[in-house]
Amino acid sequence: MALLSIKGVTVKFSGLTALSDVSFDIEPGRVHAVIGPNGAGKSTLFNVITGYISMTEGEVWFEGQKLNGLRPHTIACRGMRRTFQNGGIFAEMTVLENVLTGLAQVTASSIAGLAVGMPAAYRAEMAAMRRACDLMRLMGISELADRPAKDLSSGQQRLVEITRALATEARLLLLDEPAVGLSVQDRENLMAVLRKLTARGVALLLVEHSIDLVMAISDRIVVLNHGQVIADGEPAEIRTHDAVLEAYLGRN
Amino acid sequence: MLFQLVLSGIAQGSIYALVALGMTILFRATTIVNFGHGEFFMLGAFLVYVLLHVVGLPFLPAALLAIVLMFLLGMGLERGLFRPMGESAPHISLAMMTVAFSFLFRGIARLFWGREVYPMPSVFSYPPIEVAGLIVTSQDLIIAGTTLLLVLLFFVFFRYTRLGRLAQATSQTARGASLVGINVPLVHGGMWGTAAAIGAIAGILVAPITLLYPDMGGQILIRSFAAMTLGGFGHLGGAVVGGLLMGVMEQLAGGYISTALIDIFAFLVIIVVLLVKPSGLFGRREAAHV
Amino acid sequence: MSELTEVTRQQARPGVRLQRCAVAALLALALLLVPLVTNDYTQYVVNSILVYALAAVGFNVVLGYLGQLAFANAAFFGIGAYTVALLMHYAALPFPLALGGSAVTGALVGLVVGLPALRLKGYYLAIVTLVFGELMRWAYVHGGDITKGSGGLPVPEAAMFGVVADTDKAKYYVILAVVAAVIWSTNRILRSRVGRAFVAIRENELACASLGISPGRYKVIAFVWSGLVVAVAGGLFAILLGRISPESFNLHQLLLHFAIVMIGGIGSLVGSIMGAVLLTAAPEILRNFPGLEEIIFSLLLIAVLLFLPRGLAGLAARLVPALKERLYRE
Repeated sequence: MALLSIKGVTVKFSGLTALSDVSFDIEPGRVHAVIGPNGAGKSTLFNVITGYISMTEGEVWFEGQKLNGLRPHTIACRGMRRTFQNGGIFAEMTVLENVLTGLAQVTASSIAGLAVGMPAAYRAEMAAMRRACDLMRLMGISELADRPAKDLSSGQQRLVEITRALATEARLLLLDEPAVGLSVQDRENLMAVLRKLTARGVALLLVEHSIDLVMAISDRIVVLNHGQVIADGEPAEIRTHDAVLEAYLGRN
Repeated sequence: MLFQLVLSGIAQGSIYALVALGMTILFRATTIVNFGHGEFFMLGAFLVYVLLHVVGLPFLPAALLAIVLMFLLGMGLERGLFRPMGESAPHISLAMMTVAFSFLFRGIARLFWGREVYPMPSVFSYPPIEVAGLIVTSQDLIIAGTTLLLVLLFFVFFRYTRLGRLAQATSQTARGASLVGINVPLVHGGMWGTAAAIGAIAGILVAPITLLYPDMGGQILIRSFAAMTLGGFGHLGGAVVGGLLMGVMEQLAGGYISTALIDIFAFLVIIVVLLVKPSGLFGRREAAHV
Repeated sequence: MSELTEVTRQQARPGVRLQRCAVAALLALALLLVPLVTNDYTQYVVNSILVYALAAVGFNVVLGYLGQLAFANAAFFGIGAYTVALLMHYAALPFPLALGGSAVTGALVGLVVGLPALRLKGYYLAIVTLVFGELMRWAYVHGGDITKGSGGLPVPEAAMFGVVADTDKAKYYVILAVVAAVIWSTNRILRSRVGRAFVAIRENELACASLGISPGRYKVIAFVWSGLVVAVAGGLFAILLGRISPESFNLHQLLLHFAIVMIGGIGSLVGSIMGAVLLTAAPEILRNFPGLEEIIFSLLLIAVLLFLPRGLAGLAARLVPALKERLYRE
């Protein structure tokens, strides 16, 4: 069964059709990418899947459950997490605190327990701390733990954001332009990280402008243009697909 | 009785309309919500009192001088407090700064005039006119008349004069305006001065018929918020209409239901409007994010 | 060391832990011995400082950590004071129960304020909460025989464990115990997933939702906790004064709390305590000059807004880096 299933999703607002009858599936543990020229509707697609925008028509299914109408935080609790294009890290917190916030969903300390000083609450917080440390070690950012997030470079901030999103063993990560603005070195690091994630069985859905990156790591690529799917296939197919070339390079 | 209440409501409402107008002009120009606007009202009244009784000027020169001084004060506030905070200061901080100077002016007023309340001897001692069985005092006429004049003036200014359109452009996009060569800080200073002056005018108008005390700004602030909320936050015409409606409704509620209601009428209006239709009567669906 | 994690402190090296325990013990001893060096008047001032520190801490949860401009403190403070006064006066409840009652009413009022906070943004919330406080004050004034209106409602003396706290020194221990306990509780909540959620909402609400944190739920929690804390402070205020009237819960009171939080350092608990010390002791000195207190506080507030965004706590952190408690607001 597909991990994520988009069926006939159409999004219209104020007379504009941002997405039109978009359908595709994502398999567990694979890497999917969505590409397309500017304005193709990639961000809208992300926002619809993760519940930030409502769709006019269509359905989104995740692990056999329908996501239509659910609030973003509810969706996030179901095992799907996302990152943001414009930096979703919490600037004033340290890296450790950012990652810990990613664990909020599974940190079992109750408010009453905290207020009264119950050992159970303390133990829950300690458990979260250990998990956060493990995660940071896995992603190679342990030395950054106590640095304020705003002091980091873009590449490092992206890593922190991905680590944070990974915190609760999400089965699907949606990454919104993770490579934008990164140096060559940082891109290499990012690709290594993405491969590591796939090795752990995490499915990825990327929105990306960088065709090279997408071609290098994707198992399947969906191409959008003007809100419609114009191609859906493996990288080799997409590279030579007529409609795709036309969309990117214009009519020749 | 109904018409009498409506009439005094219009006079009262004119004051609210003026203060709300000043606040809205400032809000439109700088996106700052001025929690200290009531103090412009208070200072206007106190200034005119001082100029009349301590300096000994006749009313009209005192009033004009007070207005000019308040205009300069407004500009000074922009220059000294708000310009240093910069364009990108979070709205919370800007609002907090207005709270700070509100506190400051109250303290200054309290320092000079202590804990007492000051009556101003009546300035206009013309006898009230009777029109169709209704009594209209000269104060009411002057208040309503001045408000009408000022509202028209501003309407004309913003719509039809070059300076007014300049101000509008600046409030819509400060960066765009400065690219075109408009001196944005100066325009902002002018808006602050204008807002302060209008608030002061309201204070001057009521000074002859009301008791002056350092905290009198607080009450007018809340009523002004009610007027702006009712009319639609950020809408100039809405602020005026909202103010007038507030005045009239207050008097009607007080007359027909209970005088105790007058005090909290503004509160109820704010709460009801914000919970039911936050955009008020004329407002657009603006997201006033902080 | 980061501020939002209790746990890292527990994991500090044994030498550091011992040092911290020693400091804490000394502090506790000093606090317990305060009444030895004060007279009735200065004891009253110390008691006031504690009460205002608690009110400021409660305010800081919403203003500094959650980052919402909500002016509900006068409402919370007032409901706490009147709850204690009414329960002790009419229901003859012992003080601990009455104070518990004020915690409950404070939490309820926090809920009432917190729910609209989900829909109202920015200025609207500030205005509504301001207005709500004034509405409640009107209710106290017009509460007829129950609240005794503007004349003021006398508050019976607090009795705990059979001992009546009728002197300022006796009241000190009651107030100290409650304030210390509630600030400790608040600190634990802020240094946990709950506190991190508040700050996260302040920093980036959209990102929060993507992490499974419901912004609405945590905003309400913040308001409820804030209401509870400030109402308890109000209850203590009632005991402190011995008589409460509606005038104590007007805009002036709100501005005072606000000034304490801002000047002490927004987003810093220690700052709120420092702010309370500075701004509560000062009025006593300036008592003879009406208005001077407001002028000085507002100038300090302006100075903080322009030059010292992190207030006294930030200043202290700069001067003594070892004290660095990280703050979360500009």
